[in-house]
Amino acid sequence: MNTLSLLHGLRFIDSFFPSGGYAFSSGLEAAVQGKLIQNAEDLSRYVEDLFERGLGRCEAVAVGLGHDAAVTEALQVAVGADRELDAMKLSRDARMASRQMGRQILRSAVEQAESSATVRHFVAEVDTDRSPGHLAVSLGVTLGAFGWSRQASVAAFLYHTAVGFVSASYKLLPIGQREGQRLLVSWMPLIDDVSRRTEHAKILTSWSPIQDICSMRHSQLATRLFRS
Amino acid sequence: MIESVEPDRASDFTRIGRNGELVLDYIRQGAKTILSHSSSRSPWHFFPPIPLDETGAVYTLLVNPSGGLVGGDHLVLRAALGPGSHVLFSTPSANRVYRSTTEPVRQEIRLTVGAGAVLEWAPELTIPFAGSRFNQTIHVALEHGGTLILWDALAAGRIARGERWGFTSFDNEIRVTTPLGRTVLERYSLFSDKVMCGAGLAEDWDYVASLFLLNEAVEDEVWKRLEEKILPIIEDRQGRVLGGVSEPAVRGRVVKLLAKSAPDLNATFESIWAAARALLWGLPFPALRRY
Repeated sequence: MNTLSLLHGLRFIDSFFPSGGYAFSSGLEAAVQGKLIQNAEDLSRYVEDLFERGLGRCEAVAVGLGHDAAVTEALQVAVGADRELDAMKLSRDARMASRQMGRQILRSAVEQAESSATVRHFVAEVDTDRSPGHLAVSLGVTLGAFGWSRQASVAAFLYHTAVGFVSASYKLLPIGQREGQRLLVSWMPLIDDVSRRTEHAKILTSWSPIQDICSMRHSQLATRLFRS
Repeated sequence: MIESVEPDRASDFTRIGRNGELVLDYIRQGAKTILSHSSSRSPWHFFPPIPLDETGAVYTLLVNPSGGLVGGDHLVLRAALGPGSHVLFSTPSANRVYRSTTEPVRQEIRLTVGAGAVLEWAPELTIPFAGSRFNQTIHVALEHGGTLILWDALAAGRIARGERWGFTSFDNEIRVTTPLGRTVLERYSLFSDKVMCGAGLAEDWDYVASLFLLNEAVEDEVWKRLEEKILPIIEDRQGRVLGGVSEPAVRGRVVKLLAKSAPDLNATFESIWAAARALLWGLPFPALRRY
């Protein structure tokens, strides 16, 4: 990957990018209010479990398939993964959050990656509601179009998700910035491992019943800081 | 569409598992649901449907008299519910999956729910023994106006023996498709190996279950009212049951549950099921014969 490709892709991973991710806690707020997570150690277990068995086998694979679609110009691979992911997101809040963030990325990516037929066609599918435009697939298509490797794209998605959890935890838990950085560092070997494991994965599976339930319970919380 | 499974050859004494197929077609005739076609091959045992109540609905018990599933078993069930028919499926006892050192058990369920038909799929839970290998797919084609209530529950193992999350592999896929192209999919793959093992955070619980309540033609307002009835059922069991309810990609609700005990799980399910029956059809909770 050349430096320009790196920079183009980094823009979408950066928390500075206006995907709206700051508004979502991915069920963390419900987990904290339900006292399932009370400190940094609990948060670490929660995120590691999600990366090992849930998101790391589902969204991470969808990123890879989105990447494959961009590299091989096989639009249907991206659309298929996007629809499958939509069907698997049983929590409405999680589904809507993922769609919103994915569409934000695509809107920006299509202006910059006009040379990528897959990005253009995928945006057209999303704009006409033939594909939901989930974050994982949209990011995979985008980073693939900018020349990132499949493994780096998956790792970038997982890192982006990890940063989202840490960022939300600053508002929900007694966790400071140094502790947050320590958590991110501690998850890096796992992110690397999951991105390697999913290198050739095509099938989305997910086992994260606790995180799924927390995501479902969020909309019923009496007081909420986040939208998911 | 899945192919029919090959019948077992009488001369094949080396194979432990069995290929079984059960085919059941229901239609509505007048005010009643009747079985219009059936065929059965061991280890399935065919039980004729019995009237469920006075509405014309029928109750079909799915019986495997071998007592459980052994490695190499390949069981297929196809059931088609014609327009306006109403069928409740259950099992007389838990679905036990025995230890296998080689082949997995394969169980493939294919269900079609016609317009205005009602399918209630409420089997007892699956108990995968330590060392067992299980692969289940449940695919449902839900026509517009058809209602699906689908319950799928898993025990961590033989809890009374202290056996928890000891199976070798457990693959499960539930896929519901509609004519408009909307799909609900739950798919997980649990296995023990050197890289990833066990059920993670869920290991603090002994039972995991999903309940799908779907009908594309029912107004969202009705589903919201049902959700309001489901929430206190879950909250009343705080500490013993952890659950959530949400709207999946097909119109309706999905409930996810974790429970500390089978009675807690069953009581939660039965309360939610009763609430759904009352709200959707004004019907009481069914009195099920298990024998």
